Amino acid sequence: MVDEKRAQSPIDRVWDFLISLKLAITVLILLASASIFGTVIEQGRPDKAAQIYEDWLINIFNKTSMFDMYHSWWFLGLMFLFTLNLTCCTLDRLPRVLKVVRNPKTIFDEAFEKSLSLAGRWRKKGSMAEWTGKCTAALTASFAAPRITNDGDAVHLYAEKGVISRFGVYITHLSIIFIFLGAIIGNMIGYKGFLGLPIGDSVQFVPVRNGSELKDVGFRVRCNNFWVEYYRDQFGNPTGQPKEYASDLSIVENGQVILKKKIVVNDPLRYKGVWFYQSSYGEDKPAARMLLRRADNSAPPETFHLLFQRGEAYGVPGMGIVRLLDFQDNFEGKGPAIQVQIEKEGRQPVPMWLPSADPELDRRRGDAYVLSLQGVEQVTWTGLQVAHDPGVNIVWVGCTLMVIGIMIAFFMSHQRVWIRLSPAAEGKIDVAVGGAATRNRLAFEKNFEKIQGELKELQS
Amino acid sequence: MEPTVANIGYNIYFFDFTMILLGIASVAYLVGLYGDKPSISRVGTWICVLAALSSFVALGLRWVESYQMGIGRIPVTNLYESLVFFAWSVILFHLFVERKYESLVFGAFVIPIAFVTMLFAHFYGGGGAITPLNPALQSYWLHAHVITCFVGYAAFAVSAGIAVMYLLKARSEAAKQTTGVICMFPAAKALDELVYRAIIWGFPFLTAGIITGAAWANYAWGTYWSWDPKETWSLIVWLVYAAFLHARITRGWHGRRAAILSIVGFLSTIMCYLGVNLFLAGLHSYGGG
Ligand code: HEM
Repeated sequence: MVDEKRAQSPIDRVWDFLISLKLAITVLILLASASIFGTVIEQGRPDKAAQIYEDWLINIFNKTSMFDMYHSWWFLGLMFLFTLNLTCCTLDRLPRVLKVVRNPKTIFDEAFEKSLSLAGRWRKKGSMAEWTGKCTAALTASFAAPRITNDGDAVHLYAEKGVISRFGVYITHLSIIFIFLGAIIGNMIGYKGFLGLPIGDSVQFVPVRNGSELKDVGFRVRCNNFWVEYYRDQFGNPTGQPKEYASDLSIVENGQVILKKKIVVNDPLRYKGVWFYQSSYGEDKPAARMLLRRADNSAPPETFHLLFQRGEAYGVPGMGIVRLLDFQDNFEGKGPAIQVQIEKEGRQPVPMWLPSADPELDRRRGDAYVLSLQGVEQVTWTGLQVAHDPGVNIVWVGCTLMVIGIMIAFFMSHQRVWIRLSPAAEGKIDVAVGGAATRNRLAFEKNFEKIQGELKELQS
Repeated sequence: MEPTVANIGYNIYFFDFTMILLGIASVAYLVGLYGDKPSISRVGTWICVLAALSSFVALGLRWVESYQMGIGRIPVTNLYESLVFFAWSVILFHLFVERKYESLVFGAFVIPIAFVTMLFAHFYGGGGAITPLNPALQSYWLHAHVITCFVGYAAFAVSAGIAVMYLLKARSEAAKQTTGVICMFPAAKALDELVYRAIIWGFPFLTAGIITGAAWANYAWGTYWSWDPKETWSLIVWLVYAAFLHARITRGWHGRRAAILSIVGFLSTIMCYLGVNLFLAGLHSYGGG
């Protein structure tokens, strides 16, 4: 009960707003409606929208972050309101439910009896002690063991089943918080990237955020081999539709192969919380074959490839990131050359041309590493999706809780049965029974009738 | 991607047979209802049972035939298959509700949904060819994902059919009509309860469907949620039904508004299921097939 005065204070009014189901329904419908926009306006593609919509609309879309809607302030704001609503509502109700569960109504008085739609009364011969014992035994056998309370000269029995069903809703609601928490953790400290890895190459740095950044995963991953198998038509000729593609990967740490696995779509490789998923491939694509040497020849040289695609980059621990800018078949009449820039923390990246004809050119940079172009060749690369998501397990916990919570909320019911025994005239006992269930009342009604029937048939 | 191995097996005849049976059952239910002839509706029930069997045989045969064609896989992976599976789920769900609530009037509102679905599958389902799966779909998660989603959808279809009945009945009750077809409907209160009961079945299945989809996406390409249009629409459907569930427990949102939410929910389901493939771009494979 909210008394008039309390409800008037602004804080309480805000609180009442925040715990209201009306707000919940409104926000749910708003979230649903808002989500529609994001599916109609293709996300991350303002270029496409520019061909469809008028300029003024594009302007509005840009101002309201419609091209990255699900991360826009207003969408996240709605999510926040939703979470706040859910949290406040739970804080408001859960204590009350706990109270009801901890201190159940064990006294079956007449007023309460009248409020129940399932109830019955009769009179039996015998003593209170005898009937208390009989009813307890019968109720234990057919329903659940009752609690016995003496109140004046009456005895009250109370039995319940499925009390956990009261918490189904809260488990469900809590699960949503878990999922959000997992998603936020994943977004804050996880990363996702895509790696086009030519056969034979190994890398330690993975491009994330569409290649604008390279992430050090802490070990090297090498592609030993790659295959594609195609569906065949009725004549046994490959149809061009891939049936399966697979990569043979190795994880290399401190020069040692730690792990080797063949991955296919739907069967990734995992090492130290980083997952490598088979996601695509490229066959016979042009790439620059690069040679990396120590200036002082203190270690054997390595080779790697730079694929001819926009934003292509390769990270070398201690040297920095080599980013491909341009390529020419015949650079100043000296054959093929590529233009790269080397990005190192605290240094201004300077574009430079590396002709294959002059492998010593890069010595001029004065770095511990010397980079040169060996030639251009066709390579086959495997497309790996790389992900590190430390929040994902929390999300799965949330999902599991959600299914369990919904099942409990929908398919379980808090069922209660009360019996009151009170002495009547002529050495008889008045018996009153009542029952209530939070859900699926029809089924409970049948059960209750059965219990009542059994009780009635008991003889002293 | 256009499939290059296209095969049509004998299963297709059973599906066409199912479609015809559903057409007859729809007519029987409608005639039974409007002509006030329960015996004709009863015939509709038996035809429905036959349709459920025929659809079951067709799905099984299709599964076997896909193996014979060397592309063995569960028959719920392209538009055609998902439609016929959905129709089958609706029939089963309907028979369950009809038996449990012992009223022959539901058929007139629910079975036409299954019939129209089969018609749609027949004409727009790419001829029912068994298409090979691209590698992304070769996962056991696919089975769990598709089946849970479609059972959920079927429950929502039944709920929406009953919601329409509710709206008609509530209006007729308000006008205190005593004659006509609508008077044979169960009481508005009972219908309201049924709308809810069907959603209570659909919601956990849809939830499980979204979760298995997310688990699969995570396992196949490392992101459990990417706001792909199909994913987003399934979330929209889920949110609408979540709104429904909370509307039900709020004073003043029972009945009419809840029924409208159930219908809106089913319309969003159709959008999620078909509209996304027809109108929007995304990762999911139906529609190409
Ligand atoms: C999408 C998000 C949500 C889901 C999936 C969800 C799920 C559920 C479910 C399954 C029930 C049980 C319904 C029934 O018994 O018929 C329920 C009840 C309820 N929900 Fe939510 N809920 C969500 C959001 C919210 C929010 C934001 C609020 C904030 C106020 C809220 C407040 C309640 C309340 C007050 C109940 C009734 C509890 C009771 O019966 O004692 N829910 N919810």
